Amino acid sequence: MSLEQTSSSHQFKFTGNAKEWFGVWIVNLLLSIVTIGIYSAWAKARTKKYFYGNTHVDGRNFDYHATGGQILKGRLIVIAAVVVFQIVVALMPILGIILLIALVIFYPWLLTRAMMFNARLSSFSNVRFNFVGTYWEAFKVFFIYPILCLLTLYTTFPILDRAMKRFSIDNHRLGTAEFGMSAPIGAFYKAAGLALLWIVAVFAIAALTTGLSLTAFGEATMALENDPASAIAVIAAFYFVFFLGFIPAGVIYQALTRNAVYNGTFLQGGHRLRSNVSALQLFWIAVSNLVVVVCTLGLMLPWAQIRTARYLADHTGVELGSSLDEFIGVQQEATSALGDAYADIEGIDVGLPI
Amino acid sequence: MSDPFSLTGYVYLRGSSRRTDARLDSAQHDGLAWVRIIATDEEELARSPVSEVQIDAALGRTPRKLTFADGTVFETSDHAGFAQLDGNSRGARLHRLERFGPHLIGFTFACLAGAYLLWRYGLDILAAMAVAMTPAVVVEQIDRGTLQTIDYVMAEPSRLNEAEKDRARVIYERVIAVLPEEERNARDFTLLFRDMPSVGPNAFALPSGTMVMTDDLIRSFANENVIAGILGHEIGHVVEEHGLRRLYRSLGAYILVALLAGDTGPLMEDLLLEGNALLALSYGRKQETSADEFGLTLSHRAGYDPGGLKQLFEELSDMMGDDIQWMSSHPSHENRIKAIDTFIDGLPVR
Repeated sequence: MSLEQTSSSHQFKFTGNAKEWFGVWIVNLLLSIVTIGIYSAWAKARTKKYFYGNTHVDGRNFDYHATGGQILKGRLIVIAAVVVFQIVVALMPILGIILLIALVIFYPWLLTRAMMFNARLSSFSNVRFNFVGTYWEAFKVFFIYPILCLLTLYTTFPILDRAMKRFSIDNHRLGTAEFGMSAPIGAFYKAAGLALLWIVAVFAIAALTTGLSLTAFGEATMALENDPASAIAVIAAFYFVFFLGFIPAGVIYQALTRNAVYNGTFLQGGHRLRSNVSALQLFWIAVSNLVVVVCTLGLMLPWAQIRTARYLADHTGVELGSSLDEFIGVQQEATSALGDAYADIEGIDVGLPI
Repeated sequence: MSDPFSLTGYVYLRGSSRRTDARLDSAQHDGLAWVRIIATDEEELARSPVSEVQIDAALGRTPRKLTFADGTVFETSDHAGFAQLDGNSRGARLHRLERFGPHLIGFTFACLAGAYLLWRYGLDILAAMAVAMTPAVVVEQIDRGTLQTIDYVMAEPSRLNEAEKDRARVIYERVIAVLPEEERNARDFTLLFRDMPSVGPNAFALPSGTMVMTDDLIRSFANENVIAGILGHEIGHVVEEHGLRRLYRSLGAYILVALLAGDTGPLMEDLLLEGNALLALSYGRKQETSADEFGLTLSHRAGYDPGGLKQLFEELSDMMGDDIQWMSSHPSHENRIKAIDTFIDGLPVR
């Protein structure tokens, strides 16, 4: 079911298609391989520009403005730092620990810089986004909250998760217009509860029907040498149940919180975001994408990416409180790509809250 | 581009999201190509030579964009018309390469071949370059740092008596002596003894030439051919720079996966990193085989029976069975023994 389209309510529209994106993707990949990874900076800029440029609201699209040169500069600095760090750890483990502490202190700064870079180089309808999160806010969200979460044996994980999403959304701006997020904490707990329920149910059913247990798994690992065939069968069955339990649980949690977060997000000017993704459909997309991509040695990856983007756009919308003509950009300074490059290499996602 | 033409689209003023219908007119003037933006009421909103506007390269069917120096933006979906402005630019050539067509089949094969070559040779070349660029002082410091850590964490001073140590030292000197002179001078070869009950009969080499043998090893093997084979093997690791190469290679592979894979999604990125870890293990096994061959040649030249290394693996196999950990980063004893037999057959008669 797509979101309804009325005069004030607009569904996001994704106009990219798999054939066209395959061409861009394969050329990106080829040039990146030929240049031993150097072109990947330009490939990243082109990838983001393609997906942003093909996402429309009310006939206006998003855009991404970073250049490959900017991204490459950030990446070279981060790679040099990573190499030096690794060598220092090998050389003088004590100094390595000091560097690790320095990185921990530096981490919130890198993350806010990454979000700032990403926001300032993204635009909607000719107006640039901005990110105004501070170091201390980030420090609180990425260190204090996780420690509290650990101390409470993960029972406060939904609070931590909401705090992280709030940190990202509340600090984003479109020009001068502020974003805000007021999703109720109950929605996060409900999502976590349902995910947990799923895991418990899957393991209970597996234990009752097949007698699979942790002891059986342990024994199978021990028996690997003597009786590999049946041991591997037990281990495979265990992993199957594990994946059947945890991956769908992750998808359930993500789908439910995404809906809560979007439906609780507003943008100055009376605009409200909407989302109605379904956990079942998201799970089906994730699993079928994985199977197709693996079976085609990665060649269907562009198709999988387009399919995901289209599904998400089809189930995301915005209720406009006023005209989209009213946003005003602000003069902002350039940000270095350092944090962004760090996030890339560590695989941290710092996308826009859209 | 000599004929004047017009394109319809939208205009945005600097820093504003207000979008209004507009037209772009292009014409030649004094030998220069100019563009003007005209509002629906025929008012001129911007004007500039084409050479002074910023044109975003074409990308799929996303709207084309042209930005004037004052921040005015013109946007159109008339792709064919817009191509008259930048049809010969680098961006347009890239765009033509990306178009869906039979040439992409060739690109796909080139990617597969390129990825294979990069993994098979490219990473090694990069690692070798990085090793060559690493100053000798740094390598020596790795030896010192690692040894300190080992002494602190798991090693005790050796309990061997001088006679036992001397027996190993004599073999060590004989094996080192047949190493080419420049290899010997390039590194600081030293032999150390440690009591490390937790690792059993073992020996390891550090990149700058420090070699450590455990007490268990010396006591377990009375046959000097075995000791010679092990020392030759460890010297092989040092001379062929295996430690540093492996460090740089795994670092390079990790960075490449992170950069090339891009937005593969969480499940697929895990898969790639797991695959990478498996491939790194197979790389480690190749290094072990290579060090075996180096050690066999060296101990053979020093006058020992290269069969000693084979005897080691036969005894290890009996002592420890098929240890899973040993198997993962090293080839199995059985395979090593087979490979050693084949290699010994090919050695020149002394």
